[in-house]
Amino acid sequence: MFLCLLPAFFFLAVFLYYPIVETFRISTMRTAGLGQELYVGFDNYAKLFANDEFQAGLVHVFQWAFWSVIVQLPLAFAIAFALTWYGNRLTGFLRAAFYLSNVLPSAITAMLGKFIFAPNYGIVASFANLLHWKWLGGIDFLGDPKLAFWSIFAVATWAYTGFPIIYLMARIEQIPRDVREAAMLDGASPWRYATRIVLPETSYPLRILAVLCTVGSLKLFDLPNMMTSGGPGNATVTLGITLYRHGFVNWNYGKAAAIGAIIFALSLVFTVLQFSIGRKKGEGQ
Amino acid sequence: MSDRSVLDGSPARRRSPKVRHGAGEWIVMAILVLMALAVILPLILPFLFVFKTQLEFSYHPWALPRQIRWINFVEAWKAVRIDQGLVNTLIVCAGAIAFTIPPSALAGYVFARYRSRLTEILYYAVLLGYFVPVQMVLVPLYRMEAALGLSDTLHGLFLPMAAFGIPFWTMIYRSFFRSLPGELVEAARIDGAGHAGIFFRVMLPLAQPATVLAVILVFIGAWSDYLLSLILLTNQEHFTMQLRVASFLNAYGTDRMPRYAAAAIISAAPTVILYLLGNKWIIRGTIAGAVKE
Repeated sequence: MFLCLLPAFFFLAVFLYYPIVETFRISTMRTAGLGQELYVGFDNYAKLFANDEFQAGLVHVFQWAFWSVIVQLPLAFAIAFALTWYGNRLTGFLRAAFYLSNVLPSAITAMLGKFIFAPNYGIVASFANLLHWKWLGGIDFLGDPKLAFWSIFAVATWAYTGFPIIYLMARIEQIPRDVREAAMLDGASPWRYATRIVLPETSYPLRILAVLCTVGSLKLFDLPNMMTSGGPGNATVTLGITLYRHGFVNWNYGKAAAIGAIIFALSLVFTVLQFSIGRKKGEGQ
Repeated sequence: MSDRSVLDGSPARRRSPKVRHGAGEWIVMAILVLMALAVILPLILPFLFVFKTQLEFSYHPWALPRQIRWINFVEAWKAVRIDQGLVNTLIVCAGAIAFTIPPSALAGYVFARYRSRLTEILYYAVLLGYFVPVQMVLVPLYRMEAALGLSDTLHGLFLPMAAFGIPFWTMIYRSFFRSLPGELVEAARIDGAGHAGIFFRVMLPLAQPATVLAVILVFIGAWSDYLLSLILLTNQEHFTMQLRVASFLNAYGTDRMPRYAAAAIISAAPTVILYLLGNKWIIRGTIAGAVKE
């Protein structure tokens, strides 16, 4: 019987358990190329926290987490509620349309994001030229340090709000029909029905989505790496990008492993934190 | 709703009672349709630009093309070599499916049927893997693959991909097998079936909805991967589709917009076609996978 567990545990041991232990070990080493290693304790971590680029990455992922919870989840809730409230012939089509951008691989999303925001020839710039709006046509969305982060965030909101929409729709559709009929007989408006019944009913999925958003932000890499490579300057650097730069551009394994361990620790803390806060609230009801 | 009805996709999406909503419904639906169009628009706009020359594009970007020119497609195809990328990506997808699903199904079955303290502990060890972000293990993974001679090969890419998928799919298979009635096993045993017979003849066919779900989602995951491929593949010939798209982004840029639009169309096409054919399955599967936790 335990033979049946062997294939799974073989894969996990080789590609997961061993690398996890190794990550912690390497993160305490100063490495020079393959081979030479020198034990330096927590030196890599200390240096990282004093490093501008790493600090920028840390700030950006928290900013990203905060704004994606604040912007994407309410937007998704509103769309999901409206789609389920007016269940009609268009619902299926709209659900599929909203989720379409989610299925695109991140490379395609980055490509389309650049297509929209590129200077001179991008969609926004071409459109501004058509209307002779010089102020808009001259903006370099991805090259301006103040705007680059928000431009990528806009692309991500476009690309990834579909998942919370379909997830919340599935949960809202599980609320028994009688509940809604009773609410309507009592003369409840859609707004009251949404806030008093649907919102509490979806509090658990919303909490899961908030955790997914936060942990996803900690791991943010693909879009900023492809659209701006973390630039201009450190304007769109994330933890993932600092890991990539340290580990696979400068070949400094020790620091890269330390960043990996930090990402792991933070995602663990946030998962536990958000679930324990949520549970206390749930018990209070 | 029980686990199985989520996977089967049975009646979850019945229509709500027909109520007269009046003008409010029209306004809200119009807003929703506009938003949905905004989601689709970036995939449609490239078609307006792709048939133009650079000169025609600079003067009249928004006009309809004066004639249909395919040259931009030809140039973009040459630059991205999407055919080679497609072959590589499909190999990676097939490998990821072949090495994720059988180990997960077996382990999930054992965890569902044989409950003891030891299997509980082992199950938590599997769950641990689910919470580990891939980025955490990149450095040791890269070094190990280099030492084993696995780096820069396609199997060196799909084997770790499978390992990262196994925890989640073991969870899914476990909860699926637990939802099947135990009498089935008893009946098969009375008919003289051994452990292997019960698993392969009885349980696995019953788990077909979970398997279909796994095939779809593992395929999409492997198809879309960027980070692992970026770290583990170095030779241009081994590049997957997504790596080719990413390197096109860096090498060619947006100065020649018609060619860029052609590349966007070519590289998005397989995913979009897949989605048009199977969006019901993909959405249903994604929800079933997410509801599981």
